[in-house]
Amino acid sequence: MIQEYINSGILEAYVTGSASEEEVQELLHMKTIHPAVNHALEDLEKDMERLAQSMAVTPPARTWGKISDSIDELVLRHETNPEQFTERKETDYQDFDKRDNRSQYIEVESENNYMKVQKTWKWVFAAVFILGKIFLGCAIYFYLENRQAQQQLNELKTELRQLKK
Amino acid sequence: MLLGYIIEVVKEIAVAEQYLTEVFNELQNKDIEEILAPGSNAFLGLQQLTRKKLSSFISSIESRADGVEISTKKAIQGNKFIDLMDNEQQVVFCGVHYHGKTTANLASELNKPEDAIRKLLRESFIIIRKNRNDTGIHQ
Repeated sequence: MIQEYINSGILEAYVTGSASEEEVQELLHMKTIHPAVNHALEDLEKDMERLAQSMAVTPPARTWGKISDSIDELVLRHETNPEQFTERKETDYQDFDKRDNRSQYIEVESENNYMKVQKTWKWVFAAVFILGKIFLGCAIYFYLENRQAQQQLNELKTELRQLKK
Repeated sequence: MLLGYIIEVVKEIAVAEQYLTEVFNELQNKDIEEILAPGSNAFLGLQQLTRKKLSSFISSIESRADGVEISTKKAIQGNKFIDLMDNEQQVVFCGVHYHGKTTANLASELNKPEDAIRKLLRESFIIIRKNRNDTGIHQ
């Protein structure tokens, strides 16, 4: 019965990856309960390795460099915070100020010369402007009044000198 | 060993090297766990992933080339074990091992029962085993 199963070709189909999922599960079960199946499978795996060894080609040194670079990059990402490399939804750009989103984007200093202030400051600036105008008006008024008073004083002094003569 | 296997399929070393790099670079955690699981053969696990990746290469040849060109590009040459197999065994073994086809697909293509395809596949392995000592490769 077991020999029949081994001879059916299912083991060969398994090692070449051509068995169905059901057959794979059945084989893995058979492998655990029947050492003969396990032994036959190990022999087939050795055959596959031997076949590969017969045509083995040593990869150029640069190939491992390409692979290790990619692996190193993945390891670095894993150790820091892989989430920051994951793509976010477009709407997340609008919520840049949120703490969670900051790590994903690089902060670039804005070249804009304008400054944003709260709207309530508009009334404060208007009040300061109006008060400034009022103080300026008062200053001009008192300056003119003072000049007129000085002129009148000078005229009176002149009249007094003429009367003394 | 994996590079040699890929070269047998794609025929060009530069393309094979590219495939080899991609196989390793695209490994997922799940794949690594399966490959390194106790009792599993790491090389065969990697070869299975490579086979899946190469199946798209074979599909592209089949969809673009004509009949003569397909058989030329798909032919496995220079392998002592394959040369020892008869034509039917070669079609089945190469179809499964190099071109990533299932035994069910081959049965449908060759208009034969799946059991017959598996028998041919088993015969191919018997040929490899019988002649393994003649190749100068040691265990």
